[in-house]
Amino acid sequence: MKEVIHQYGVELDWVAGLAAGIGGYVEGNYIRIADEAQQGNRYVLQINDQLTAFIIDVTYRQDVVYKLRNTRNDFVGLYFNLSEGDSIHILNEVTRSFGKWGYNLGIFDASLNGDFQVKSGSTTYMIAIFIKKSALKQYLLKIPEHHQIVESVFNSELNTIVRFDRMSNHAWWLMNELRKAPPSGPLYDVYITGTVYGLIADYLDQIINQEIIIEQVFPEDVGHIISSQAYLSAHIENAFPGIHFLAGEANMSETKYKKLFKKINGITPHGFFQSNKLSYAKEMLETGQFTIGEIADKFGFFDSTHLIEQFKNTYGVPPKEYLSQL
Amino acid sequence: MTEERIEFCYHYTLGPEWQQQIVAGIGATLKDNKILTMPGNIADGGSIFLEVNPGLSVLLLDMTFKVPVAITRIPTDHNYYMVYFDIGDEITTHIIGNTVHKAGYHAKLGMGFMDCSMQGVIMPPIGKRSYSLRLLIQKGYLKELAASTRDLETNNLLFDESKNTLLFYSHIDSRSKILLSQLKENDFTSPSFELKLKSTASYLLGYLMERASRFEPIINKLSNQDIERIFLTSEYLMENLLSEFPGLQKMADMAEMSVSKYKILFKKILKDSPNQFFLNEKLLLAQQLLSSGNFSSVQEVAYELGYSSPNYFTKVYKNMFQVLPGDILEKQNSKP
Repeated sequence: MKEVIHQYGVELDWVAGLAAGIGGYVEGNYIRIADEAQQGNRYVLQINDQLTAFIIDVTYRQDVVYKLRNTRNDFVGLYFNLSEGDSIHILNEVTRSFGKWGYNLGIFDASLNGDFQVKSGSTTYMIAIFIKKSALKQYLLKIPEHHQIVESVFNSELNTIVRFDRMSNHAWWLMNELRKAPPSGPLYDVYITGTVYGLIADYLDQIINQEIIIEQVFPEDVGHIISSQAYLSAHIENAFPGIHFLAGEANMSETKYKKLFKKINGITPHGFFQSNKLSYAKEMLETGQFTIGEIADKFGFFDSTHLIEQFKNTYGVPPKEYLSQL
Repeated sequence: MTEERIEFCYHYTLGPEWQQQIVAGIGATLKDNKILTMPGNIADGGSIFLEVNPGLSVLLLDMTFKVPVAITRIPTDHNYYMVYFDIGDEITTHIIGNTVHKAGYHAKLGMGFMDCSMQGVIMPPIGKRSYSLRLLIQKGYLKELAASTRDLETNNLLFDESKNTLLFYSHIDSRSKILLSQLKENDFTSPSFELKLKSTASYLLGYLMERASRFEPIINKLSNQDIERIFLTSEYLMENLLSEFPGLQKMADMAEMSVSKYKILFKKILKDSPNQFFLNEKLLLAQQLLSSGNFSSVQEVAYELGYSSPNYFTKVYKNMFQVLPGDILEKQNSKP
């Protein structure tokens, strides 16, 4: 297994070291690599003196372990990760599966050493956001409920910032939108900036609704809910399987299942399912290769009228108008 | 009873300095150098101004005016372009030069791109919420962004101010419309709002560049008079959607231009030929009429819009929206 020891930071002095570690070189904002075994795109953008983004869109043909050993501790890393395939994050000897169906959002203090294992055959699509602790503190202070605790959150003797989480639907949409943009030129930087601000905003919203969940929910319950979400996403073309079935799969009563799902995702299971259906339908529509009828059929809408109505309710414009003004 | 209109002049700057004019001019209050609150006797609400990066600033206005005002953005030689997106609840009257034209959902020309050297007057409706967003983009930055979407020679010509004027008016594209309506659901005061506004502004700029790269480059220097006259005719078309297309000769006469010049300038500013523009607007209106619940047959709508053949109307409608007008009508009228 290839081993890469590296560090991150808001300032960009780590980029050359990482490039050398993976056997590549720096070219402008890119880390290029000749090695066939890890082809794809690695792009670094410092947005301002508090904020840097690192975008990784790479398919691996070998096993790699990244050992993060930061020398700075003035920042926090927000890792939005939509990897497919096997990737594992190891922290304090506890392994967690990371990526599309596991935890896909990690928040880590720079002082934490973590290992990130990627298996051959997996595709990593990740946006890492490095944000100065001073700036993150300013954002958190805007949440009135957090005024009391912000000081202790950033007191390294009392607390280490670490959290494994699931990103919201909107964050997922933002990442997909960025992935569609051609990864070069100044326009790419514009989209990265928009995505990064959107992702931080979205995470702040999540924090506001979150605390209660963490306090009252057992980790295995969270795991069940996440599996349930994965199930819904994998069966997006079918009809909604029903609460009875989902709760049974998650080993919970229907009442508990509905309550936990809503707490963790901020949306009901059916709402989650429908809005994902529509996101997929919208993407298919954008390709211009399918009729509304075909799309409605694929995702199990009652008929095209039903899809048109749902689309309009969610996005404010009917699909054809959306398409004609794209 | 005619109330006296409060008149007020200002200009933007890429930095936050411009807001002082609103404070000094009409007594708005300014917080953190970015949030303006309007004085209660003039309007409810206010605006928020943020610098996204050194080349891009964004201003979001959410106001309900209580008295008639005429707000004039005076031409400056500052180094930026302005893009406005209007998604208010009601038509806002914009005047460029002396031409009144409407923006907002009903007239549906919700988007405009212009140089800061062009004067603009806004007369917002009273008692209705105006919700609009403006991007201020530094000229050099926009040119650099545009250069990545076109060949260098064309791009240099487009941005050569001695040869070309950059200006266009259009509908808000779908992707931007969705972002704006999502933003509209958020409160100015929510903890994540500023981040969302910066995110939205960046995406709007990206979408704008993608869209503009598909425009046919028409290199032409526009005089204020040209612009006024073109707007006069586009306005005429939008107000007369129920009749037939008046013909190019009549439109060119109205604009006091030759037919060939008229066609070029109309297309440059409104991104369609006059005829196509008219047809599109007509069909968008048709869409509204069909779902208004006021009509019981496609025939009625076709006649209302001045089509002598309902079959022909059905054909062009289907062409644009890929659904039959009858289906829209049926769905609408079957609602409880």
